[in-house]
Order: sequence, then C-alpha cells, then structure tokens
Amino acid sequence: MGGLQKKKFERGAATNYITRNSARKKLQLSLPDFRRLCILKGVYPHEPKHKKKVNKGSTAPRTFYLLKDIRFLLHEPVVHKFREYKIFVRKLKRAYGKTEWSAVERLKENKPTYKLDHIVKERYPTFIDALRDIDDALCMCFLFSTFARTGKCHVQTIQLCRRLTVEWMNYVITSRALRKVFLSIKGIYYQAEVMGQLITWLVPYQFSHDHPTDVDYRVMATFTEMYTTLLGFINFKLYHSLNLVYPPKMDIQAESELKEEFEEDYAMNSESYTEKLSALSGSLARVVSTEEEEEGKLDQFPAEGEDVEKMEAREKEQKQLEAQKKLFDGLKIFLNREVPRESLAFIIRCFGGQVSWDKSVSIGSTFDVTDETITHQIVDRPNFDKQYINRYYVQPQWVYDCVNAKILLPVEDYFLGVTLPPHLSPFVEEKEGDYVPPEKLRIMALQRGEKPAQEQEEDEEEGEEDDDEEEEEGDDDEVDEEEKAEEKNLKKMEEQKSQGKSLQVKVTPGKVKAENPARLEQEEKAEEKRLAIMMMKKKEKYLYDKIMFGKKRKVREANKLAAKRKAHDDAEKTKKKKARK
Amino acid sequence: SSRRLRRMAASQPGFLTLKPSSDPTDLVGGRRKRVNKNKKKNWNKFSDITDVEEFLEDVRHQERTTGGLLSEKSDDSLFFVDLGQTDKAEQNAAEPDEGKKRKGKSTRPLRIDLILQGDSFIPPPKDVLAYQKPNAKKLRRIAQKAEQLAAKGVVPRAQKKLLNRRLADRTVKKAVAEANNNPDRDYYDMWAQKSKSPADPWCVLQTGKQQVKRPKKLNQKPSALPAVEVIAPGGSYNPDFLSHQALLQEAHEVEVKKKKQEDKLEKQLAVNREDKATAETALREEVEGLIEDEEDEETSPNKEDEEASGAAITVTEKKTERQRKKEKAEKRKEQQQLSVKRQTVQQQQLFQLRSIKAAIKQQEQQAKKRWSKRKEKQEAQKAQPRRLGKLKFQAPDLEVQLRDELAGSLRQLKPEGSILKDRFKSLQKRNLIEPRERAKFRRKLKVKYVEKRAFKEIT
Repeated sequence: MGGLQKKKFERGAATNYITRNSARKKLQLSLPDFRRLCILKGVYPHEPKHKKKVNKGSTAPRTFYLLKDIRFLLHEPVVHKFREYKIFVRKLKRAYGKTEWSAVERLKENKPTYKLDHIVKERYPTFIDALRDIDDALCMCFLFSTFARTGKCHVQTIQLCRRLTVEWMNYVITSRALRKVFLSIKGIYYQAEVMGQLITWLVPYQFSHDHPTDVDYRVMATFTEMYTTLLGFINFKLYHSLNLVYPPKMDIQAESELKEEFEEDYAMNSESYTEKLSALSGSLARVVSTEEEEEGKLDQFPAEGEDVEKMEAREKEQKQLEAQKKLFDGLKIFLNREVPRESLAFIIRCFGGQVSWDKSVSIGSTFDVTDETITHQIVDRPNFDKQYINRYYVQPQWVYDCVNAKILLPVEDYFLGVTLPPHLSPFVEEKEGDYVPPEKLRIMALQRGEKPAQEQEEDEEEGEEDDDEEEEEGDDDEVDEEEKAEEKNLKKMEEQKSQGKSLQVKVTPGKVKAENPARLEQEEKAEEKRLAIMMMKKKEKYLYDKIMFGKKRKVREANKLAAKRKAHDDAEKTKKKKARK
Repeated sequence: SSRRLRRMAASQPGFLTLKPSSDPTDLVGGRRKRVNKNKKKNWNKFSDITDVEEFLEDVRHQERTTGGLLSEKSDDSLFFVDLGQTDKAEQNAAEPDEGKKRKGKSTRPLRIDLILQGDSFIPPPKDVLAYQKPNAKKLRRIAQKAEQLAAKGVVPRAQKKLLNRRLADRTVKKAVAEANNNPDRDYYDMWAQKSKSPADPWCVLQTGKQQVKRPKKLNQKPSALPAVEVIAPGGSYNPDFLSHQALLQEAHEVEVKKKKQEDKLEKQLAVNREDKATAETALREEVEGLIEDEEDEETSPNKEDEEASGAAITVTEKKTERQRKKEKAEKRKEQQQLSVKRQTVQQQQLFQLRSIKAAIKQQEQQAKKRWSKRKEKQEAQKAQPRRLGKLKFQAPDLEVQLRDELAGSLRQLKPEGSILKDRFKSLQKRNLIEPRERAKFRRKLKVKYVEKRAFKEIT
C-alpha cells in the first residue's frame, strides 16, 4: 500500500524514443538542418515495437528516433556550424536588401564551412569498416559525376565526384580488381574485389538523365557530401597500399606517350591533366619505381583428408583468378566512336589490354586506327567499309561477355551484323538442379576447354525421368559426368538433364578406355551408397526421401523450362526458315 | 572698489577722457528718490556707477588701441612734427620698388584677413596647459622604462598579444576558406594514427571534458538489404529468353495486383442499384403520409411483447423451506460425485502416462515450431522497409522493356528508369530516410481575375 502513484509513459519504451519534432527542438535546428545532421552522423529513424505506448497513447503516425542517439547528436561540433551558417545567410540577406555590396563581399569571403573528416573517422573506426560501406558511396559519386552542370546541385560537387570516381577507376585498373560486369537496361553494374571485399556499383549510361521530380535533391546532395569525404579517404589509403602517388600522377612513360600537339582543342591547360587521367589510358606513377612485385605464393601446409581437397580447390580458384586478370594481355583494341568509350576503356585496361580511340573522340588516345598491330576493333554499326584484314571487327558485347566468362570467347558470334547471343547476368549463381540457360552451358563448356559445335546442339535430346539417388551423385563433379555420358548403357546417362553431356558423347569418344578403373571405383561408390540407404532408420529414410523428392521436383521444373526454351528456339527457327523461303 | 578707482582717477591731474562723458550736474540734478541706505541691496541698486564704468571702459580702450594709458606715454611717441610731403614721396618711391620685386597683388594681405586680424595691443594671456602636461613625470618614467626594455629586446605584452593574434588569424582563415566540396581538396591517411579512446586521460586533462562515445546501436545497419541490388537477369540489355519472360511475369503480377486493388476501390465507391430512385419509389415518397397505414398490425405484436416480458418478471417467487433443503442436498451430492470422478480420473491417468507424455511432446514441438516460425518472420522483417512516418514505403515500378522495346545493339539501347530515383528508393527501402511527399504548393493570397479592357472590348 501507499507509495507514489505510477504515472503512465514515464518509464519503458516511452522514455527511450523521441519524436522528430521534439528532437529538432532539442537541437535547436530547422528541419532541413536536422535531416542533414542525421544523415551525416548516420542516425536513422526507428520504428518502435509498440507505437501507441511510445506515442503516449496517440496512434498518430510519427517519426521516432532513439533518445540516446539524439543526446549523442547534441555533442556534435557541426551543429554549431549549422547555426553559424544560418546566421550567415541572415546577414547576407540583410546586406542584399540594403544593397550594401561591400558588406556582401565581406560576408561571402568569410562564409562558414565545415569538415566531415571527424565524422567519417567516428563512423568508420577502421579502414575495412569504411570499405564495406563503399557501395553506396560509389553509386552516388558515379551518378553525380554524370549530372549536367545546370544548377541541380553545386558544380563543385560534380567536379569532386568526377575526380573521385576517376581515381577509383584508376585504382581498380592498377590493382586489376574488376570481376564482373553486367549491362542492364538501367545502367552498368560492376563488381570488384578490393582487399577481400566484394564491391558492387552501378554506373549510369552516358546522357541518360531525365531529372525525376519526386526525388529530394537536398537529401541526395547531403548523402553525396558525406560519401565524397569517405571515398576520398578510402582512395588515399588504397593508393598508398599499392605504393601509388596520391593524388594520382601519370607515369612518365605514359605521359610522354600522351603528349599531343592539339591538346588545347580538348581542354584548357589547367584541366588537360585531369582529363588525361580520366581517359584511363595511361598507367599511374608509383612512389617506389621498382615495378616487380613478388608473386606471393600461398604457404603450403601439410594437410590431410578434406583439407587437401579444399586446398586444391582454393589453388585452382587462385589460378583461375590469375588467368582472368591477364585476360586481355597483349591485345590491342581500338574503339570506334559509337561505342561507350569510358566503360570499355576501363574494362579493357582492367584486364591488361591496350586501348585507344580516334583522336577526335577524346583526349588520351595512344595509337591510331592505321596501326597494323591492332588485334581487335570494337564496332557497333551494321556494316563497315575499309576493313583491315589482320584484325577482328567485333561488337562491344564481346568484351563484356569475355570478362564474365573469364576466357576469350570465340569472336565469330560477335562479328559485325551478327545477331548477338544473349548477355547473361554474371550475378546469378545457379545451384545444382536449377535451370541453366543453354548459352551459359556453352560458356561453361568453353571454360572447360571443349569446343562445341552449333549443329550438334540442336539434335540432342534432353534427359528425362531421373532416378533420384543417382541424380544427386551425378551432379557432383563435371568430370564424372563426362565419363558417365560416355557409358550409354548406363542408367545414369538418362538423367543427365543438360544438353552439353550428350554432345560430348559425340565429340570425345576416344578417351574412354583409359578411365576404366575410375569407373569401377565409381560403381563401387554407388554400391556403397545404395547399401547405406538400405541401412537407414525409418525416420532417416523418410527425411532422405523427402529431400530427394524436393530435388527431383526441382529437376523436373528445370526440365520443363528447358523444354519451353527448346520449343521457343524451334519456333524461331521455323520462322526464320519461312522468312528465308 | 569702483568707487576707489573713480576717486583715484579724479584725483589724477592729467586725466583726459576720450569720450565726452555725461555732465556731473546731470547726476546731481533732478529729484532723487529716497531710499534707505542701510541695505546692501539698495546700495547696489540705487547707487550710480556709470561714471566709473565709463572710466574703466576708457582705460581698457586705451590699453587695447595704444598698448597703455596715453597719459603715461612720452610726448615723442604721441606727436610728430609735420614737415610737408617729402616723407610721403620717399615712401611712394620705395613702395613701387617693393611691388616690382614681389609682383604686386600677392604681397598685400586679403582684406578679410585684415578684418579678422586681432588689432588689440594687449598680448593674449598665457595658456598654462599648453606647456604643462598632466602626469608628465609618470609618463616620462614609463617611457624611459619602455626604452630600456626595448634596448634589451623585450616586447611589451600588449604588442605580443597583437602579434600572436595576427598569426593565428592567418592560419584560421586558410582553413576556413576551403569548402567541403572543393574539387581540389586534399585527403590524408585517416586510419593511420590510433584512434584515441573517449576516456583518454591526456585528452580529458587537456580539454576538461570526456569525449562522447558513439552509441553501439548506431553501428547496426537499419536493414539487412544490400546497398546495391542487382537487377534480375531478365533486365539485361540483351536478355536470355526465359529470364526475360520471368521478369515480365513478375512485372505483370505487380500490375495485376494494382489493378485488383483499383477495381476493389471502384466497386466500393460505385452507387448501389437499390439506392437509385425509380418511378415507383419516387411516387411512394410523394404520397408518404397521405395514405393511412394499417397501424393496428404494428401495434399488436408490441402488445404481445409486453405481455411476455411481464410474465418473465412474475416467475420469481419465494422458495419454500423444503425446496431449499432439497436443493442443498442436491448440490452436496453433485460435489461428491465430482470429487469421486476426479479421483478416478487421476487414478486412470496413471495408466495413461504414455499418451500424456506424447501429448506433452507434441505440444512442445508445436511451441518450437511456432517459435521458429516467429523467428523466421522476424528475420524476414529485417529486410522489409519499416513504417517510419506518415507515409508507407512504396516500391518503385519494375524496370522492364518489352520484347519489341529491346534494342538490338548497345548503340541503340534506351536506358529504362532513372538511377537517381532508384538510389533514392533504395535509401528509403533500407530505412535510412523516411518516405516523404513533395510539399504541396499552397497559395497564400487569393488570386483575383480581372478581365483586361482589351479583352472586354472583344467579348
């Protein structure tokens, strides 16, 4: 009995949250300023679990922040700067109103500015933290760097974004970190691996802007403000990790190569250097001039059992990666004027190729069209007169597909005027049993080093009616699959769902004999498995059957898709034939 | 004192007044007013002192114009013997010489200057303050000290302060001038030096306050979604047939859903056919109240109702003693039966142990399943946009190009959608900013439409 009466909303959730308006009042900031501060400091609104409790009984929709976050914001020195700026604006307005031009001049000279360095440091205590959060920054900077200078945002911001993105691209080129590219209808997706982190970013196509009206430009500009600071510091660190000079400088050799008589035509003297850097055609200067990097080999540890397999897999991957990095090594590629220059130059240089373009397209071209050593010319028009015999004329998709396939694809499919094979997304990873488009299968076969012929692909049959137990086993290894495919009498062969397999039957019939012991081993394995299944408990068996059923269903679906695809292809073919007739 | 002076002047034999003074007889003549002379006030008021005043004025005048009393001057200085024109001729001869030398006009002072020139022969009184300084001694001492210090090379404190401030100002200005978005700004290795912990003792000692720690919750990401969501494979500029179909299907489903909602709304808003007025209902409405209704029918059921309720009330009657006893006994018996039943059930349960166990197990399993389901839901919720404000997050339209919109080559590609919008929506989807609506333009002042005269003539 007795004691104080408990009042409502004085403890619990109601005291942990604060509404946006009261937070704003507490900080003595206007709403735009408050929003800006929150974005800069990384304070985001929260949705409380029990809204009614937090809202003191009201159910009105409100934006809530955690009270602790707002208390933390109270200590931010940037808040003072915001207030200072507000006063500055007031004074400036007054001076304008009174037409006191000298006062306007003086005020403008002493315009209050602020730095975000300490906020970056606070939000990202370590470099890796910052690197993990760079996706957004890159997207935003690439986006802003393509804006026209029409007053939607500060010209200075656009310039800074351009500078930072060029620095980033130069870094990716030098470190050969690019892994995937995807041309979508929205823009170009890139993925790079930097210091073990996969970084994805989206770059808009050139000249593709309409400014949407339902986007808050002020918010976007604030995000960009934060991200430019972040990206700059990351660039600095990355350049130093590669012993490169920051801000980036061209190599002396590259610089002399790029010397041209008509430089003034492209840019003013003050800008020509940055323009040349952004051409991406020259290599960068290093702090330590020795170019050789010791190829750090993985330390070999004695390992047993499963570890060996893992190690082998890892080594194989490593090897593949090394090969991919040198994809375009030794190729000399010339870009015609109708292809997206920057994107292609970036990719080709990322994989070690040499690239150039017509002098009149942009600054920084390294060789002419007439150069006899050019191996490929990227062309995107239906026909082209005056062709050189000793070079391939290919469409731009070839470059992108090569990067995704990690090998140099045959150029025949990409010749001038040829209908291109579909551009597949490298970001899709098929699990076993999923439907795989035939184009991808073909690429996979090419990766394995086989040469499929177009004709054979057509008259092959799809595998149906699969025995689930063997199915699972069959998918394990591609090498196994090949072997199995050769054994026509074996039941396993039937459940091979992919077209690639039966095709191999015809191409490589001669290898069979030597691998007999391997086959025996396999059979033994299969036998063992069957026995193990027989020995299962009832309950386990039930579970196993269930899993198997799921897999079977997946395969069935995949087969259905494949059949659909085949029907579509056939329809296309007949249409074509009719058209020919 | 004036009197004394007057007396003195009168006693002097050679005193001559320059101005014709009033006759002494005037003073004496006429009727004098009788006034008591025992009051100082009256003395001051009625005694005549004009003569003294005049005399003194005269003395001052003489002093001013001649530099002393005329009576005290020697005769030589007052008179000269007029010898005719010789002197004047000499003077005239001398003057032109001078004029030639100085070129006439410039020598003669301006008339205005002459007027302004003081013509008094009495020199002005000396100004003491002109050559006496207040605190002169002290100041002299201070100056001497400063000289000594300067010789030694010691800069005074005030000056030192000024110098210091000037240096500081310069550095501050340089830092201020660089804006945050300056394209040539420089960066440094931010992560090189170890970050100071908030409770660093040196820091605390220097600044007098502890650095504020960033709340840990701020480092959590508000959503599990990745920053960049890659478009589905069907969104390729040259897509594979099936994946393109899949994307189209997805877009189609979204559209169907939207359409369904729209239809539903329309259906709800549509006017009910029964609510519409027909000729019949209109007529009935017109004649309402004019034709007598059969009220009897309506009233009769009401009466029955009343009777029924009356019956219900009358049922409650007092119980007899016997009835009560009987009820009590029945109750007791019932309870006994219940307890016996309970006991038997408990005994029986001993034999049901197995099934009970199974039931418990099942229950537990169910609870577990529910728990895992809830957990799953929570996980899924993490990737979902939250309700952060007045408006709900609205997913942007899927970017899709139909089969015939797809470009054959990269050159002819027409980009779909806006990346700016995509980024903005992504920020909203990841709960970084709350969804908002553009503020509507609201006119403050009323607009008045006036037809111009030119138009008026035409219309």
